[in-house]
Amino acid sequence: MITAEGLGKRYGDKVAVDGISFTVRPGSVTGFLGPNGAGKSTTMRMIVGLDRPTTGGVTINGKDYWQLTSPLTEVGALLDAKAVHTGRSARNHLRAMAATHGIPNSRVDEVIDITGIGSVARKRAGGFSLGMGQRLGIAAALLGDPHTLILDEPVNGLDPEGVRWVREFVRHAASEGRTVLLSSHLMSEMSQTADHVIVLGRGRILADAPLSDLVRQWTTARVHVRSPRAAELADAVAGRDVEVVTTDQFTLDVTGLPASRIGDIAAERGIAVHELTPTSGSLEDAYLALTGDSVEYRTRAVPQTDAALEGALA
Amino acid sequence: MTAIQARATHVPSPARNLTFVRQLRSEWIKLTTVRGTWWSVGIVAVITVAIAFAVTSAMSGPVDNIMMAVLMPVQLTMLIAGILGVISVTGEYSTGMVRSTFTADPVRGSVLAAKAVVMAAFMFVVSLVVFTVAAIGISPIAAAKDIAVDWADPAKTILPILAASAVMALFALLGVGIGFLVRSGAGAIAVTVGIMFVLPIILQLLGMWLHDLPWVLSMVDYLPTSAAPDVILPSDGGALNGPASWGVLAAWPAVALLGSWAVLRARDV
Repeated sequence: MITAEGLGKRYGDKVAVDGISFTVRPGSVTGFLGPNGAGKSTTMRMIVGLDRPTTGGVTINGKDYWQLTSPLTEVGALLDAKAVHTGRSARNHLRAMAATHGIPNSRVDEVIDITGIGSVARKRAGGFSLGMGQRLGIAAALLGDPHTLILDEPVNGLDPEGVRWVREFVRHAASEGRTVLLSSHLMSEMSQTADHVIVLGRGRILADAPLSDLVRQWTTARVHVRSPRAAELADAVAGRDVEVVTTDQFTLDVTGLPASRIGDIAAERGIAVHELTPTSGSLEDAYLALTGDSVEYRTRAVPQTDAALEGALA
Repeated sequence: MTAIQARATHVPSPARNLTFVRQLRSEWIKLTTVRGTWWSVGIVAVITVAIAFAVTSAMSGPVDNIMMAVLMPVQLTMLIAGILGVISVTGEYSTGMVRSTFTADPVRGSVLAAKAVVMAAFMFVVSLVVFTVAAIGISPIAAAKDIAVDWADPAKTILPILAASAVMALFALLGVGIGFLVRSGAGAIAVTVGIMFVLPIILQLLGMWLHDLPWVLSMVDYLPTSAAPDVILPSDGGALNGPASWGVLAAWPAVALLGSWAVLRARDV
């Protein structure tokens, strides 16, 4: 269990984390979601005591990280894949980490095996690819067989097999009753991995809810309709709480009515319907709706001129 | 049900926790598994042996103590000791390793202490071996010139070797302290070289220029590089007495380590 209360971090004038409170419970996977600069990494660094909070605090099972008698067996952290001396071999890196807690070399070889870095374990970590470095970081986090896993962007740089492995691994860890906190900017990944999502934006918590609630609450179900008499149908379904967007002569997007009701209305009036597709919201929609105003590093919208679209379609 | 059972199996083994002795072992593994360490040891050995042989070969007639040939190169190799101390720390900062180190042991002072103890012990033992080997190595050349390496008199051989090894360890500690204070490798090496080789020259020049202020020139005596020869092969002409020289040699690394302890506690990793 990770408990943050009024946790805040300020670098000079810049507020990275703005007095947030949250709880990460054992037995489920909690996702930290947010745009770059939202404060995810800073929060994780404060959990393991690398950065000191300017306000509030965060505890692991009721203790500050520095009070733990056995940090590596209580918490496994992957904060930065490049937290490894480039001149040292992967195995020696893990041996040095393990030695601090009297973890035997047999466990070192075990995590090397689990994470599939056996073929490069005796090579210098400086030459590792992003994916191999990530696997080494995960291996280090697993050394102490910890109760709590804190993984910052764990699938970053991994191949599809590695991504699936991480997903299954964290789900399994949670099913064993461990506490899992992972961050990702990949919403598709988060929607397949997390049970509970904490959305951060500009250092504040925008949402803290079960994944399904979040999606339901922040997205609207829409029905995509195609009909040769679209305009007529649009008038027929119109009403309070119903929003109809006419895309072109034959296409409507209806919000506020279920697909079945639209179909019935069309049937009552003898209007042919060529397509009736309900689209439910995704985590991505929820995320964009939530973080719309809190993106710190906004990209400029790609100009969508007709010429560009035609070019893309051609 | 299965979840509860699984949870029960993950009670941490009480044997697997953080202790200072285990941290020493971890720091030992870290020190001995990077190439820079062995390059430093190799350079210290080569410089010491080469200069010892050259000086002994060039000798003619009686000398006060032949160990001078073996221990004079400390004036150079103590810089290698300082630099090794620096890079053992700055190598962690530049690669990000330091985050792994402080995650495994969040108590900043204990990381500093473990690193300092291992570095000092390593440098002391390495120096002891190198100086002893060099002393034995030059014996035949010296003997051919009727100069004996006097192992029977500890004050002439064993004590100077022990003193020189301790000096090497103290300079390595100075490097560790400066490494934690400065964090950047280039910056920390510059500061170390500055204290060891630039500061004496500057103070001497200032002393000559400000000859009305004799204390400026006498500040040179309180630099670690000035105190080192006095403790290795004490002579009557030394500016400070033995204990005072040891005090100067110990004070520099002590201040650097205490300073780094203070900043480590205060600052983010």
